[in-house]
Amino acid sequence: MFAITPNVLSNFMNSLSRYIILLSLILISVSIFLIIFLENDYYQGISFKIMFIHVPTAWLSLAIFLVMGISSIVGLIFKSPTAFTVARSLSPIGLIMSIIVLVTGSIWGNLTWGAYWVWDARLTSMLILAFIYLGHILLLYSFEHFQKADFAASVLAIIGLVNLPIVKFSVDWWTTLHQESSVLRIGGPSMTNDYLITLLVSFFGIFMLTIFWFSNIFYIIVEKRKIERSKLLND
Amino acid sequence: MRIIKLNNQIKKRFIFLLIIFACFSASIFLISYSLKDQIAYFVEPTDLKNMDGIENKYLRVGGLVKTNSLKFLDGNWVFEVVDQNQNSVNVIFSKTLPNLVEENKGIIVEGKFIDNIFVAEIVLAKHDENYMPQSAIDKLKEEGKWRGN
Repeated sequence: MFAITPNVLSNFMNSLSRYIILLSLILISVSIFLIIFLENDYYQGISFKIMFIHVPTAWLSLAIFLVMGISSIVGLIFKSPTAFTVARSLSPIGLIMSIIVLVTGSIWGNLTWGAYWVWDARLTSMLILAFIYLGHILLLYSFEHFQKADFAASVLAIIGLVNLPIVKFSVDWWTTLHQESSVLRIGGPSMTNDYLITLLVSFFGIFMLTIFWFSNIFYIIVEKRKIERSKLLND
Repeated sequence: MRIIKLNNQIKKRFIFLLIIFACFSASIFLISYSLKDQIAYFVEPTDLKNMDGIENKYLRVGGLVKTNSLKFLDGNWVFEVVDQNQNSVNVIFSKTLPNLVEENKGIIVEGKFIDNIFVAEIVLAKHDENYMPQSAIDKLKEEGKWRGN
């Protein structure tokens, strides 16, 4: 476990990244093709197609935070630089994902509900998630030494883990304007198979894109540190 | 010898983190439990029966628009919001309804009770979690399994 240095992980991901981006582009093109030719929802009309961006990015913004939180725990307990670097390179992606969720959601909300924004439990907890991502990034860049920054940001990520079940189950625990889950629910998905398959293809496309993006940010951080270290040695 | 020392440290850090996490989640749980009436976005007509002093209080009521109740009278929209227990609230609304407000579909009305009639200031359409193309509904109707309108 301690043998996985940031360098080893960076090299491993770099060797795979060309296949990952290829797979991602194929899946995203297939999903765009499927989305264009999909029959509209009987009630919402064409605006339901926003779902195929909104739902995958929402799942990913939760999943990214879960990985960030777990790697922060591993980092704090085992003092592992790899785990800290994973958390550090995930938070900008999570922030972008949660902003996409909020923007696409409010466009859909205006078309469907008749309001861009309401303060119900799901929307508010999702906004808090975006703010925690923002706070994580700000903490990372407000310390001179990256070890201190990693420590502070990890504590925030671990505390922020409490918000994850609140975002996920807010629609079940309280009455909200946002509808309940359509896919991960008791009794199976409440959408037809053609919608579900399109959603899953779109999800895996964006998921692969996220992994590619993550490996690039990880690589940049590792290389930057190498340059800084060699500068210190030369001085 | 060194390994044992490291394990002790790891154990200490693990317990420390566990305590922090447990305390924080317990506090969040207590806060959200005590504020659960404020966190809830709307109340159902059945909940209104057990509430005191609802007259002139700003409320949100949610449910379905009752079938055959949506009418346009004297420049006002008039309809009934009904829930699963068949309790209903009479609503009057003077502005334009959102596009997706229909009979037997979800709705949330925001406003006050005046003389036992709910005068709505904001109306929001609440979409349910079902997504279906028209062809799937036609198929269900043919099989006689469709329960909507």
